[in-house]
Amino acid sequence: MSKYQVGDRVTVRDAPTMFHTRTQAFTRGRTGVVVEHRPEWVIPEDEAWGRDNGRTERFYVVRFNQRDLWADYTGSDSDTLESEFSERWLMPAKEETK
Amino acid sequence: MSSHTNFDVLQKRVRALAPEEHTVLDSPPTISNDFFDALRHVVHDVGGQPDGPMAYKEKEEEDWEARTYVTCECLAWRGVWSAEERRRAENDLGETLYFGLPYYARWIMVAAKTLINKGIITPDELSAKLEEVRQRLEVKS
Amino acid sequence: MSRTHDHAPIQESEEISEFEVLETAIRELSISHGLFSAEDHRRFTEWAESIGPAGGSRLVAKAWVDPEFKERLLADGTEACKEVGIDWNNPTGEGTPSDYTFFYVLENTPKVHNVIVCTLCSCYPRPVLGHSPAWYRTPNYRRRMVRRPREVLAEFGLYLPPDVEVRVHDSNQKSRFMVMPMRPEGTEGWSEEQLAAIVTRDTMIGVAVPKVDWTASSAPSEALSSPSRGH
Repeated sequence: MSKYQVGDRVTVRDAPTMFHTRTQAFTRGRTGVVVEHRPEWVIPEDEAWGRDNGRTERFYVVRFNQRDLWADYTGSDSDTLESEFSERWLMPAKEETK
Repeated sequence: MSSHTNFDVLQKRVRALAPEEHTVLDSPPTISNDFFDALRHVVHDVGGQPDGPMAYKEKEEEDWEARTYVTCECLAWRGVWSAEERRRAENDLGETLYFGLPYYARWIMVAAKTLINKGIITPDELSAKLEEVRQRLEVKS
Repeated sequence: MSRTHDHAPIQESEEISEFEVLETAIRELSISHGLFSAEDHRRFTEWAESIGPAGGSRLVAKAWVDPEFKERLLADGTEACKEVGIDWNNPTGEGTPSDYTFFYVLENTPKVHNVIVCTLCSCYPRPVLGHSPAWYRTPNYRRRMVRRPREVLAEFGLYLPPDVEVRVHDSNQKSRFMVMPMRPEGTEGWSEEQLAAIVTRDTMIGVAVPKVDWTASSAPSEALSSPSRGH
C-alpha cells in the first residue's frame, strides 16, 4: 500500500546523514507534490552497503517549484524540478521555514 | 578577442593575485560542529553548490576508460558488488580523491579497493600484479 | 552553436597511464579469481560498443510519425524500446548494473521543456543514448543544472521564454530518462530516417532542440547524429 497518492503535498525529511545518501541536501525540508509512483525498489541505504536483497520501499516522483528550492532562483516562476524519494524520506507537507 | 573577453581575462588574473590565507588542516585537536557538518557532507551531493560557467567539452573515451566501464559492470553483473556500492565507495574516497581524479579513475580505484576490502584479493597480490603489468606494458611501448 | 562553448576535444595522453596499468591488473585478477570470465568482458564490451544516440533518435522519430507508438512510449518506455530493437535487459538478461530497466520518456510540449541531470553521479540512459558526454559527468554541470538551468541552457545556446516551464529531472534513483523534443516546423512529409537525423543526442538530454536547416531545399538524407560529429 502506498502511503502517498499522486497529488499529495509532501516534505522531504532532513534525517542526519553520514557517508552516503541519494536524498539530496538541496531537497531536505522542501515541500513538493507527488506526481508519479515508481516501483518498489531496494533502498540505497541497503544497496550501497552490500545488502542487495535489502528492504524494498515504494518510491515517489516529487515535483518542486524551483522558487521553493532556491531563495535566489533566477529563472521563471513556472520552473520546476522533479526527483525521486523512497517513502521513508517523505512526510506529509508541513509549513516551510525558509 | 573582444574587449569584454580581455576584461574578463585580466580581471581573473588580477583576482588570482590577491593573497589567500588557508587554514592548514593537520588533524586539529578540536573542530566546531559547523565544520564537522561540512566535513561530513556526503561528497557526491553537489547539486546547488556554487559554481561558475565552464566550457563544456567533448572528450573521446580512452581505451582504458572503456575497459574500466566494462570491468566494473562485469564485477556487478557477476555479483561482486552493485552499482550503488561502487557509488558509495567513490564517496568513501573523500573529497581530495573524488575531485582530484578523473571520472573513470574513480571507478577503477574503488574497484581495486573493494576487491581488497571484501577479502577477495590481498594487497600484496595487487602490488605484484601492478608491477608485472607495468613491466609488460612498458616493454610493449 | 553556442559562443561560450569550445567543443574541441580534450587532448588524450600519449604515455601509458597508471590507470591503464590498474585497470589491466584488476581485470586480470578478476578473471583469474573467477569473478567474471573473459567471455563476459567480451560480451559486455560488444554491447558497450553497440550503443549510441541513434537508438533514441529512432524512438523520437517513430513517436513523431505514429501517435499510437508515442502513447505506448510514454506509457511504458522500457517496453516500447523493444519496437525499435532496444532491449533494456541486454546484455546480462537483467539489464546493466548501472542503468537498470526503468526507462521513462519525457515529452516536451509548448508549455514544458524537460532537461535531465544526475547531481549525485551521472546516471544516464545508456541503452538509448550511448555513453554520456564528458561534460554531463562534471561536478560543474551537476552543481548548476538544478539551480541555474536557464543559465546553463543559455550557454548551450538554448533560450526559452519565461512562460515555458523548464522542468529539471534530477535522476537520483533507478529511473532513467530521455527527453522527447517537439517536432519542429518545416518537417512535414519527412521520413522517419530524415526525422531521426535531426534528433541529436543533446536534444534528448534537453540542452538543445532539433534544428531544421532553412537554407536546404530538401530534407536531409544523411544522419547528422553520428558519433564522430559529437553532440
